[in-house]
Amino acid sequence: MNLTAKSNNRLLIHKNMEPVTLKNSVDIILTPQFYTFLREDLDLNFAYQAKQIAPSLFDGYIDSSIEHQYYVYKCDKNWCFFAYNIDEIDLFLESVGIEKHRVSKIYFIQQIADELTEPILLSEKSVLLNIDDVLTITPKRILNKELTYQTLDLDGFKFKGGVTMGAALNSFVSLKETIILSSLLFILGTVFMVEGNRIKSSIATENEQLSALLDENPKYASGLLRSSILEKYQPIDSNERLKRESIKEISKFLSAKSQLKSLTINEKSIKVNITTSNNSINKQIKEHATAKNFKTSGAGLNLKVEKKL
Amino acid sequence: MNLMTLQRYRNEIILLIALLFALFAFMFRLSANTYVQENKLSIQQQVSEITKISNYQKQWDGKKVPNKIKILKTIVNKSKVKSFQKKSKKLIASYVNLTANELNKINNKLLNIPVQIVNLQIDEKSKNQFTMELTCKW
Repeated sequence: MNLTAKSNNRLLIHKNMEPVTLKNSVDIILTPQFYTFLREDLDLNFAYQAKQIAPSLFDGYIDSSIEHQYYVYKCDKNWCFFAYNIDEIDLFLESVGIEKHRVSKIYFIQQIADELTEPILLSEKSVLLNIDDVLTITPKRILNKELTYQTLDLDGFKFKGGVTMGAALNSFVSLKETIILSSLLFILGTVFMVEGNRIKSSIATENEQLSALLDENPKYASGLLRSSILEKYQPIDSNERLKRESIKEISKFLSAKSQLKSLTINEKSIKVNITTSNNSINKQIKEHATAKNFKTSGAGLNLKVEKKL
Repeated sequence: MNLMTLQRYRNEIILLIALLFALFAFMFRLSANTYVQENKLSIQQQVSEITKISNYQKQWDGKKVPNKIKILKTIVNKSKVKSFQKKSKKLIASYVNLTANELNKINNKLLNIPVQIVNLQIDEKSKNQFTMELTCKW
């Protein structure tokens, strides 16, 4: 699909032309029969500003009841304005056998007015004439019969700008809006893509770590096996840690004034008998033991400290 | 649809392509988010489980215990080791006339050996004289 179809083949369009058969796309060059031209010295900087005021400039020159399209470009110090009716052009092209889809770009013969100084014979009846830098169609009969005519080789000229049939047929969205909106959407899309990639790569480290661990121990890929091994080791680990921590805590209760009488550790509990030298030590140990989740009991200076495992 | 129609709606087609690209990118971002939410927790859990298993096995598989446990026989004078029976993966040891220091030494060593303490019985028989019964497995 070529949306900007371009071709070097050019075809001059005038009302006395012979029907043609095309096999390739062409650029068409309109003669003044299909447009109205104005050259104005305006203090404008941009073509879009000129295009905005174009309809008012043509007031009185063209039939306002017919919808016209406008083409503007800067010519030397002036602005060149063209008003044309794309439907009229379209109908004419059809009548001479030019299918719409064969037309790549539309140019105006006025664009090369500087280079067409000699008259050009369009047909037996009409001549394209440059009058004060404005190309005009004139009947041949009113011109001097000895006049020499220039041969027109359109491929030798350089045309700038031009309009496409699509653009001339009024798209719903202007080119400027298309560029702005598309750029915004493209930027937005790019941001989403980058963010998506960043989010996905956020677990890359975890993925690599897991892969490395599984490479070392492929059998641990099974969740059932992991659960079964954990079920075996977790109770052993927590129980043994609790036993060891409890022994360390009990050793902190013992001093010169509080001595161990007996200690029993089995699978279910830890029981300790401590003799203290006075009640204040006894009370102190009770407080510490309670704080460490031991149960305390006993009478006098004998103290029993117990913890279920 | 011929080329003319495509040219006529060129702007709209460009906009549509840009819109589709933005939509596709948005869907990609959403799917990335869902993928991470669904998988991150699961991967972290798997890593944690495998790490735990490795640590547990290193600590509790008992492969180095037979060597380490020999120290419990020699840590105090022979006369104070009443019995020291190591069978399969189990140890039954009995100590007598231990001083508080000797008792602490045995305890400290025991706590640093990765064995399961099945039974530990310490009694003061007279002042600063303790007996100790120990059963452990690995």
